[in-house]
Amino acid sequence: MRDAVHAEWTKLRTVPSSGWLLIAIIALTVGASALVTSIVKCPGTCDADTTKLSLTGIMLGQAAVAAIAVVVVTAEYGTGMIRVSLAAVPRRSVLLAAKAIVVTAVVLVAGTISVLGSVLAGRIQLPGNGFTAANGFAALSILHGPTLRAAAGSVLYLVLIGLFTLGISTALRDSGLTTAVVLGFLYVIPIIGDVVISPLWQHRVERWTPTDAGLAIQATRNIAKLPIGPWPGLGVLALWTTAALAGGWLVLRLRDA
Amino acid sequence: MTMTPTTTSSYRSAEPAGRDGFGQLLRSEWTKLRTVRGWVIALILAAALTAVIPIALAGTATSNDPVTCAHGICQAEGQTVATGPAGGAVIDNFDFVHQALAGNGSITARVADLHGSSPQQHIPPGFTRPPSIEPWAKAGLMIKASTKPGAAYAAVMLTGNHGVRMQYDFTHDVAGSAVTASWLRLTRSGDSITGYESGDGQHWTPIGSVVLAGLPATAQAGMFVASPEFQSAVGTGDSSFTSATQATAAFSRVALTSSASHWVATSVGAQSPGAGNVNGNGNGNGQLNCNAVKCVKGPASPKDSVRAAGGAFTVAGSGDIAPFEPIVDPLHVTFFGTLFGLIALIALGALFVTAEYRRGMIRTTVTASPRRGRILVAKALVIGVLAFVSGLIGAAIALPIASHKLVANGWTPPVWQTLSLTSGIGLRVVLGTAAIAAVAAILGLAAGAIFRRSSGAIMATTGIVVVPVILSVVLPLTTGTWLLRITPAAAFSLQAGVPRYSQVSSVCAPYHSCFPLSPWSGFAVLCAWAAVAMAGAIYLLRRRDV
Repeated sequence: MRDAVHAEWTKLRTVPSSGWLLIAIIALTVGASALVTSIVKCPGTCDADTTKLSLTGIMLGQAAVAAIAVVVVTAEYGTGMIRVSLAAVPRRSVLLAAKAIVVTAVVLVAGTISVLGSVLAGRIQLPGNGFTAANGFAALSILHGPTLRAAAGSVLYLVLIGLFTLGISTALRDSGLTTAVVLGFLYVIPIIGDVVISPLWQHRVERWTPTDAGLAIQATRNIAKLPIGPWPGLGVLALWTTAALAGGWLVLRLRDA
Repeated sequence: MTMTPTTTSSYRSAEPAGRDGFGQLLRSEWTKLRTVRGWVIALILAAALTAVIPIALAGTATSNDPVTCAHGICQAEGQTVATGPAGGAVIDNFDFVHQALAGNGSITARVADLHGSSPQQHIPPGFTRPPSIEPWAKAGLMIKASTKPGAAYAAVMLTGNHGVRMQYDFTHDVAGSAVTASWLRLTRSGDSITGYESGDGQHWTPIGSVVLAGLPATAQAGMFVASPEFQSAVGTGDSSFTSATQATAAFSRVALTSSASHWVATSVGAQSPGAGNVNGNGNGNGQLNCNAVKCVKGPASPKDSVRAAGGAFTVAGSGDIAPFEPIVDPLHVTFFGTLFGLIALIALGALFVTAEYRRGMIRTTVTASPRRGRILVAKALVIGVLAFVSGLIGAAIALPIASHKLVANGWTPPVWQTLSLTSGIGLRVVLGTAAIAAVAAILGLAAGAIFRRSSGAIMATTGIVVVPVILSVVLPLTTGTWLLRITPAAAFSLQAGVPRYSQVSSVCAPYHSCFPLSPWSGFAVLCAWAAVAMAGAIYLLRRRDV
């Protein structure tokens, strides 16, 4: 197992695109978060959830996370490398687990940097935009209970998105197909959830789709009114991730590479 | 010995010369696409998704607040609307000082001093304050079939910020000059009404002419004032604030041909007393209170006193005379379902290039056609046409069924129209969906040639086409609207199911699936992105080794 993980780490580390994608995770997340917290103003959006706002960039950063998870699997199928990998590590579960461990580790590091950067940007910029103690906003602090939960949860969210994509990539094998399917999950379903007219269906989408439920972890205000609580929401995403990984594992076992 | 020059001819093959025409290139690209089974499946799948998901979404879109109508007056979205001459819902609520105009004739007045009165009202923190006058406050002359809300009319007017206009039957708006005080005239001749303006009351310039079919022999002609509600929205646009406003204008030298009776003040469409307020001083009669839906001046004034004195009036009014723009656009919401098929087509566009790089096919392609720019143009044509057809088939199936389901779910006329493939908006939505599919697939193709990796190309294209839509919904209103103006996502305004009019100022919140640009200018933004990306792709393909 250690060797398998080491091999996966070497593969990921030596592909030039990995470095760029790691930088993209951090740049997209922190950049978009900082942009949003520099734009919002109180008065204007004084009912804003400042923690959630300063973590908006996660919505962009997750695309780069997904891209890494796609590369880890589909690049091997694209080049035929997968046959070498499976000859070296014949046990399919071990290979998939090794890939999952490497993705988790990489995303944990990049995600933590991104989230800390985003919270810091919010902490620096928000008071200047009217989110002051006088208006009922304490400066963002990572030590504040709900903010800590939202921040740590956002890192976990990125990890789960990475593993979800890893599962789908393993099941579908083709980078174009996987990317299209994952983007559908990450960006189209939330649009449908936001604009769908029927309150019943809106509630269902917000409760049970991977990104909407998973991002409930970022909420720090009006939690009682959310369609799903922060941790149960992340739990829903974890279920999707488990299902995707199980599907990937099944395909990997049953189908020739 | 002298050399005699001899002519030698070089060797020429007996085979016919090879052709490298653009037709051959197109044919080879088409062959590449149609012989990859996965790509043909993707095209069919995209059409199926484009058809099925909007239909499914329309099935779930039940209205909580259905339109209720009685005697042509409807309640929709908390507003009272009438049914206009063309059948659409209209706001017809204003103050009208009028008298009967039998047969042909004209009404003339000088209109000046149009000003608004700011409502003495608490503005919640964060909302913008109302301007001194609403941009579309209106004061002018009108000939209207009757004082019934929704009746046909033609009017010339001064507006708050948009100069002199001629408007008729609610949806039509013709610009005149940009002055703030003017002589105005309306002339009726049969069913035809012509509007004029003049700086001095001597030299008249026509603004427009309109035929109001079925205008009764005796119509109502007079002066009117209206001032629409002030609207302001904050946050993502989900919370908004509206307040009634009032405008006042001075009418002088009012002249009506064949005046047969005295002036009557009516608050057209008024639901409660006290909506109208007219001060007439043309006959020395002082104040006149208009507290009912219809009120006549107390002591009957001599019918010609208005003309004889060159009547001067000060009229105050509120309300609007305009098409009703509903906040909710259920068809647009439904058509967000076409995004799934769109991502499939973007992916196909990207793969059409990146697959060649992965398999080394690109070297064969550029050997066969050394002029590389033409390769991408041929690919763009092939993928553009196929994506257009895929989107067209999907949308043409989706539109009638989705529209039918929406009506069944309570999104009914006159506010929401049943859209068919032959109606203007329905046709625009279907062709627009197909056009977006075509250009987005070409954008994906260009990204594929730039990145040479399918994953990166699909992510980048989706990132600029689809992601702005979701960001615009969660970001503050101004930022979200700005995103939908400059990114390719602007093109989704082609899928709007309710018309937006430039003569109606309403809050356009992405949260309510309102796109800030007009349909075809939004599409132009997408085309501009695709053109720049194609130029970049061609440049890079020519410069780089394959």
